[in-house]
Amino acid sequence: MTDVTAPTDDLKFVQRIRRDYSPLVIAMVGLFVVIFVAGAVFTDDFLTWFNIKTIIRDAALVGIMAIGLTFVTLSGNFFLLSMKEIAALSIICFATLMGADWNQWGAGEGDPTTSALVMTFSVAFLATMIIATIAGAAQGALIGLGGNPIVVTLGAAGLFFGIGSWWSDNLVVSYRRPHGAEWLGTGSFIGDIPNITVAFIIIAVVAELTLRYTTFGRQVYLVGANRAAGRATGHENFGMAIKCCIIASVCAAFVAVAFSGQVSSAHVNYFSSEFGSSGDMTIMVIAIVMVGGNSIMGGYGSTLRTSLGAIFISTVDNMMVLNGFNSGARVLAVGLMIVFSIIVFALVRRGSRAVE
Amino acid sequence: MTTLKKALRIVAIAGVASVVSTTAIAQSIVSFNGPAGEAYIGRFIKGIKETAALKGYDIKVFENQFNQAEQDQQVQQVLAAGVLPDVFIWWPSDAVAGLGSLRALAKTGVPVLKINQLPNEQDKQYIFGYAGPDDRLRARNAGYMMREAAAAKKAAGGDGFNVLVLSYPHSYGGYGLSINAFKEAIAGSDLNIIGDVDEGFGQANGYKGAAKAIAAHRDEGIHFVYGMDDAILTGGIKALEEAGYKMGDDVVAVGTVCNGDKQLIEEGKQFGTTLQSPLHEGQLAIKMVEEYLKTGELENYINFTPNPAVTATNMETVALRGFDGKLYGIDELCSGAWGG
Repeated sequence: MTDVTAPTDDLKFVQRIRRDYSPLVIAMVGLFVVIFVAGAVFTDDFLTWFNIKTIIRDAALVGIMAIGLTFVTLSGNFFLLSMKEIAALSIICFATLMGADWNQWGAGEGDPTTSALVMTFSVAFLATMIIATIAGAAQGALIGLGGNPIVVTLGAAGLFFGIGSWWSDNLVVSYRRPHGAEWLGTGSFIGDIPNITVAFIIIAVVAELTLRYTTFGRQVYLVGANRAAGRATGHENFGMAIKCCIIASVCAAFVAVAFSGQVSSAHVNYFSSEFGSSGDMTIMVIAIVMVGGNSIMGGYGSTLRTSLGAIFISTVDNMMVLNGFNSGARVLAVGLMIVFSIIVFALVRRGSRAVE
Repeated sequence: MTTLKKALRIVAIAGVASVVSTTAIAQSIVSFNGPAGEAYIGRFIKGIKETAALKGYDIKVFENQFNQAEQDQQVQQVLAAGVLPDVFIWWPSDAVAGLGSLRALAKTGVPVLKINQLPNEQDKQYIFGYAGPDDRLRARNAGYMMREAAAAKKAAGGDGFNVLVLSYPHSYGGYGLSINAFKEAIAGSDLNIIGDVDEGFGQANGYKGAAKAIAAHRDEGIHFVYGMDDAILTGGIKALEEAGYKMGDDVVAVGTVCNGDKQLIEEGKQFGTTLQSPLHEGQLAIKMVEEYLKTGELENYINFTPNPAVTATNMETVALRGFDGKLYGIDELCSGAWGG
């Protein structure tokens, strides 16, 4: 005998959507999905392997930075407004050390040996990460002590940028190929997938697993959602702010190293003028965190959402380029997408609180 | 005692007179421009400061962060201070939005030299001349270089002459001048523009723009790439290499401004570029100021910096004599990863 009253899985899904979300949210998201799918289907060269690789590669650098920043936001410490300045200081440090004399690690005349390249890269990478860690820890400590995150990180931004400018004398710091960072900047170990894309995927997965399945991850949500509850259970924001700011800083430094490896040079302004439609890396990274639907107040969201937010913005931008739109229209579209996402997520969260 | 007082008074009067006379003799310049933190402008500021010092002018430089509102405020501060220089140097962040400030500067009666952005119909009446680069000339020279490369390819039996353009943002004033001059230069040749992408300034945007354009045009074939400046082109070359193109063989790249990566030309990955020296631009500005202060006018209203073509064959020999009399090699003249 057949049970005709049991709904199919599809019906269950539809019913769940109708139960959990308001008609306005369903209509907005539905309209967007229709437009997006139509755009994808009718845009020449959009649904190709090469273009999909391009989209993810495009999202990789800002995406990695945004993943790091998500930890700060989820822990209830707002944003690091110094992301691009940490990257600026890091890229100057890295490029300066990469430009050091190869021969000191054993190479003779001519091209450097592999061991010399590895040693140069290792020293430069390690020094850059140490500087980023100090930069993150210092900001985290000040925030953890009760400093306003906006004021602290704006001040830190000026400090880091100033050090980078002074160190480089405002000049482009370049180093010659071959060098030990090419594998990260332009190389590909897995077929034709750029290593930086692979790094983005690995970082996204590790970050998400860390948040979901480790004690530290749960503490991030706890402190972010309810600082008093966190304190009552022995999880002070002081330590959390330091840890999360270090994660964000190290992600920014990693992006700096990867970008420097790609262009074999560094300048303090690379992250002020060369990324995203707004031309400002920090603004772009914050936009990605917001588009991902992470709560600005902390405690709600995920790095997976952030990663998808980065890919989403990259996808819209890519589709518009393929359709011949110039930069003005693309800036407008990305801005609209951000506003749209914030409205939808706000409606969804308001609805879910009502259900609760 | 009286004699001592008299002597001291004489010394004091002589000292004051000497300061006053020195102040009266040293002519002064105030320059409004972008930030030294930007590599090109940093070299420009070095050029105007060193040359002004050489010529005996006092110079004050007001930097803005590519922000017309900030620059407008700086203008108001200088005017409010009441101590006017002998010449203003005006590099607007936005020539149209900054027209009010330019008018305010001109109303003081102090002559104004506009630099870097060509005069337009609105601001011509407020300036005594222009010194700076010629967007059209450098784009034209890039076009001629590409024609030369295309002709060589054809002579060698090669085919495929599709051109991808990596542009400035289309809203930027230099875009129209550059693309029109480039099109004029390649007109009548086998070269055919198939795409024009304007992701933004700099290497990262050049990379991103090129990556998307490759996705759109790889089926048609991309054989030549024109970068509106070398920084953009450098990013574009990386994207092409990642997509499997062999630069120099599959694709010929030509840029301008020499603010990218010298090693790309050495390695044959970039066919050529055009010289545009910020140091020279700064020196030219002071030269024009000197000419105006001496004669009350400029021999030429428009004064361009030279934009010669630079390729692997002449890279080591290209040099310019600066307006300070010194001979500068290409590493000192160019910016970006050229040594500047």
